[in-house]
Amino acid sequence: MKDFNYIQPDSLSQAGKYLSNRNNDAVILSGGTDLLSLIKENIYTNENVVNLKTIPNLNNIKYKKGEGLTIGALTKISDVAESKIIKEKFTVLAEAAKEIASLQLRNMGTVGGNICQRPRCWYYREDFDCIKKGGGECFAYQGENKYHCIIGGGPCYIVHPSDLAVALTALDAKVKLFFDDSSRIIPIHEFFILPEDDYLFENILRDGEIVTEIIIPDLPDGAKSSYIKIKERETWDFAVVSAAAVISKKGSNIKSGKIAYGGVAPIPWTEEIINKSLKNLNADKNEIEKISKIILADAEPLEKNKYKVILAKNLVKRILTNLVLDA
Amino acid sequence: MSRKIIKSKYDLYEEKIETIAEVPSEKEKPLAPNSKLKYVGKDVNRYDGYDKVSGSAIYTIDKVLPNMVFARVMVSPHPHAKIKSIDVSKALKLKGVLHIITNENTSEIPWYYNTSKLFDKHLRYQGDEVACVAAETEKIAEEALSLIKVEYEIMPHVVTAESAMKENAPKIHNNGNFGRPSEYTRGNFDEGIKQADVTIEDTFTTQVEVHNPTEVHCSVVNWDGGKLTVWDSTQSIFSVRDNVAQSLGLNASDVRVVKKYMGGGFGSKLEAGKYTVMAALLAKKIGRPVKAAMNRREMNLSVGNRPDSNQTITIGTKKDGTFTAMSHIAYGVMGAYPSGSSSYWPLRSIYKCPNIKIDNKSIYINAGRARPFRAPGHVQGTFALESIIDDLALKLGMDPIELRLKNYTEVDQDGDVPYTSKLLKEAYEKGAEEIGWKNRNKIPGSQTGEIKTGIGMASQIWWGGGAPPSYATLKLNSDGSAKIFSGTQDIGTGTYTFMQQIAADVLEIPIDKVNVDLGDTGTMPYSGGSGGSMTAPSVSPAVYDAAIQMKQKLISNAAAILEVDESNLIYSSGNISSKNDSSKSIEIKDVVGKIHERVLVTTGARNENPNGYAINSFGAQFAKVEVDTMTGIVRVKKIVAAHDIGRVLNRKTLENQFYGGVIMGLGYALMENRVIDDYTGKVLTTNLHDYKMPTMQDMPDIKVIIVSEEDNLISPTGVKGIGEPAMIPTPGAIANAVFNAIGVRIKSLPITPDKILEALNSKS
Repeated sequence: MKDFNYIQPDSLSQAGKYLSNRNNDAVILSGGTDLLSLIKENIYTNENVVNLKTIPNLNNIKYKKGEGLTIGALTKISDVAESKIIKEKFTVLAEAAKEIASLQLRNMGTVGGNICQRPRCWYYREDFDCIKKGGGECFAYQGENKYHCIIGGGPCYIVHPSDLAVALTALDAKVKLFFDDSSRIIPIHEFFILPEDDYLFENILRDGEIVTEIIIPDLPDGAKSSYIKIKERETWDFAVVSAAAVISKKGSNIKSGKIAYGGVAPIPWTEEIINKSLKNLNADKNEIEKISKIILADAEPLEKNKYKVILAKNLVKRILTNLVLDA
Repeated sequence: MSRKIIKSKYDLYEEKIETIAEVPSEKEKPLAPNSKLKYVGKDVNRYDGYDKVSGSAIYTIDKVLPNMVFARVMVSPHPHAKIKSIDVSKALKLKGVLHIITNENTSEIPWYYNTSKLFDKHLRYQGDEVACVAAETEKIAEEALSLIKVEYEIMPHVVTAESAMKENAPKIHNNGNFGRPSEYTRGNFDEGIKQADVTIEDTFTTQVEVHNPTEVHCSVVNWDGGKLTVWDSTQSIFSVRDNVAQSLGLNASDVRVVKKYMGGGFGSKLEAGKYTVMAALLAKKIGRPVKAAMNRREMNLSVGNRPDSNQTITIGTKKDGTFTAMSHIAYGVMGAYPSGSSSYWPLRSIYKCPNIKIDNKSIYINAGRARPFRAPGHVQGTFALESIIDDLALKLGMDPIELRLKNYTEVDQDGDVPYTSKLLKEAYEKGAEEIGWKNRNKIPGSQTGEIKTGIGMASQIWWGGGAPPSYATLKLNSDGSAKIFSGTQDIGTGTYTFMQQIAADVLEIPIDKVNVDLGDTGTMPYSGGSGGSMTAPSVSPAVYDAAIQMKQKLISNAAAILEVDESNLIYSSGNISSKNDSSKSIEIKDVVGKIHERVLVTTGARNENPNGYAINSFGAQFAKVEVDTMTGIVRVKKIVAAHDIGRVLNRKTLENQFYGGVIMGLGYALMENRVIDDYTGKVLTTNLHDYKMPTMQDMPDIKVIIVSEEDNLISPTGVKGIGEPAMIPTPGAIANAVFNAIGVRIKSLPITPDKILEALNSKS
């Protein structure tokens, strides 16, 4: 572990000024549950660590009917999991939050940090000069790729580790970003980027840019949502595959719906064809079966992760059955 | 009480262990049954419980000595390489660095049975030691490691048994990649197969499992002139003493090894670490105490593991299920240095079979060396054997338990001698009843619905009867308190507590009057390493013997004090009184108070094992699982552990041991797996996220049923060890329950969702 200076700004603008100066070689700390291990493992060797937790007003959850929900980037994951309005109205997000890591980590980890965390790929975390760290190759491609992506990969084959990101994608969330002294708001599907666009990073954040808020549009009354995460032990594990679904119903028909998958791609994955086919769907057992059969049709699994295709199909079947039929 | 010296014999695997031991010359009257005792067998709280829970217990890793410095070891980043040169000059210049040792400034100290050295230029795995730095702080030592410049000649590596066994494979040792084979024959296998009506053959594989105890491997060393004290996180203080003395050319009496509390070992802490000897060399040079501690990454690379296995089992039977022949052809990786990987013993010993053929190969690969791991060979061997026996039962149309009973043996198959006790039948009965055996799926996989439940079981055999030499010293003070000293060690299993219980029951005094000190080679009588489920069965009779002698000594002293003939005295509840004259009575503390030295001392010894008997523990575990056929996830709902383990010393610590064994077995069955990247030869699972161990939330409901009372043919305390039996059958029981649920046999551990999904997918 390399020594670093610990910077504690009082305001967003102070942090923005400091971070936008490239000479400062700084990295952002919020909950620290990922960053500190990256520093300890010498994957990060920045000179300066900027703590955002000293900045006020970045940790609140606000809801306004018709407008939607905003969540400050420094909101603890455990607060999202326990929030009454999120549990009731944006169930998928509360369920995703509750599935994250362990209680101790949820009490430390923040929403902003969670969507910006680095991949769990063991080649990235261990002593390998892999492409994600600026090296020449992806060792997972022909190596131990049981936990790697089945779609959207190349030249790096990570999966995105965030549970919240999958739920937020299904909710069509937007991300508010702060740089130097100004803000911009972008849809979450534009926030995450594929390795073919930039294999060194998982999102569009520029050096020194800060995620300050998540904005979720309101859901129509009666909308239902859910998150299912498959992991190899009961707690403290990342998703092997996960699925998030948000469904609006009209009678026995689905009016509209959106499904996102985690653990299958380097970004939270959605398929337009599936979301379209959910529109005005008379959802019965057969229709759900049909949809689950066509999801991830373009998947190109690696040698050791073909099971993820089966798993993703089964999860979609289960989540739709739970939301639509068993309701 | 009279003593004799014997050559003590104890069987462990093929090894006939012989040691000279002092034992009581007469067979002692056994400890009373638990129903007549106040403490033994009861729910007694741990002696060290308060200290551990409150944080006041000082483990080796917590140990701080005045003026102490820190050592860190530099290890090879390559799986196979030679050191061309080492340059420590830059590291030595770092402020706070005190000394660095490498092969260039250290004498050649043999290691790994003379196949390597403390610092070997030939590095055979990622994790092999290159240099050791001592510095004022751990952080400086760590930084210094990054400043050491090593030029490596990189050599081709092999990290799987399959590739290491090939003729043209890179050689890890001059004589190749094969270790000492394990071969065994009983009767004639081919003849036995000819007599069979039905044969079954299949291959099962298991993964490498890493011990990962909570407390990392660590030592603190301090020289006092030419004498060395080592505080070590170890399961065997006397082994560490001997290893360290031999490595440093010291007399064993000049090395003192101390260990009070232990954060787990599971077999990985039975020998001295290289870091211990390196710390001693550095401390000698610097003249200050040195602490050397592994980090979690090193724990997953360098300090042992359970070898993997590829086991092909063949069984021939008559139509009625009588076994006529069995064979076990297997190989497994033992890492880069000599160890063993055989897994045949359960097949060789647990069922009656006249014709047996065994051929197990241990293979060198470029990875960390295997060490004993909670029932070496038995856990993987039991998984494979008990899986194929269930498959055979299905083929024969028999109940799996019925098939096992058909081949039940009342005599040890090797020596043709009876067991001191064997209550496996009773374990089957009680376990089957508790799990609801009759409710299992008669046709495996026949349930409809996405989530299917299944019930399975597996049997267990182990040694663990204990043996001499093992001694315990007991002191009785004039305040009525007692203290036990013994050179065994409590590795978290409850050794402190059962010693207290036995002494308190024999002397009929309150348990809180009895103190126990363990784990010091310098001041305590010898007892063996805490491995092989040997501790309680070896040392509990020594404590009992010491207490019996103390009682006699008190009576004799009281006779002199009271001027009453010994034969007229009665010992009761810590009081000695005359049968005839109630005015002649004295409390035992007053006996001690009236004698010149104000303390009475006795030393007890473990008895000799009986001739003409085999001593084994037995048990059966039953698992109830739920398999989600949509996700491949297995949830273990309940484990029933029904065991024959002789006398229960302490119900609480006994159950703790079973919980620990079962959860460890569950981890091995369902998730734990050391993964190595074949292309680079590097380990991918060096942290506790990637190396997945079960959490509290994965714990099933565990019910422990003990079917045995005391086994007094073994010893006056009648105890068999339980550390290993608690884990041996768990993975096999879970695997059989999974099969019962889904009707597809998963033949490789761990049983992860990918394997279940792919198996179900290819079936449908």
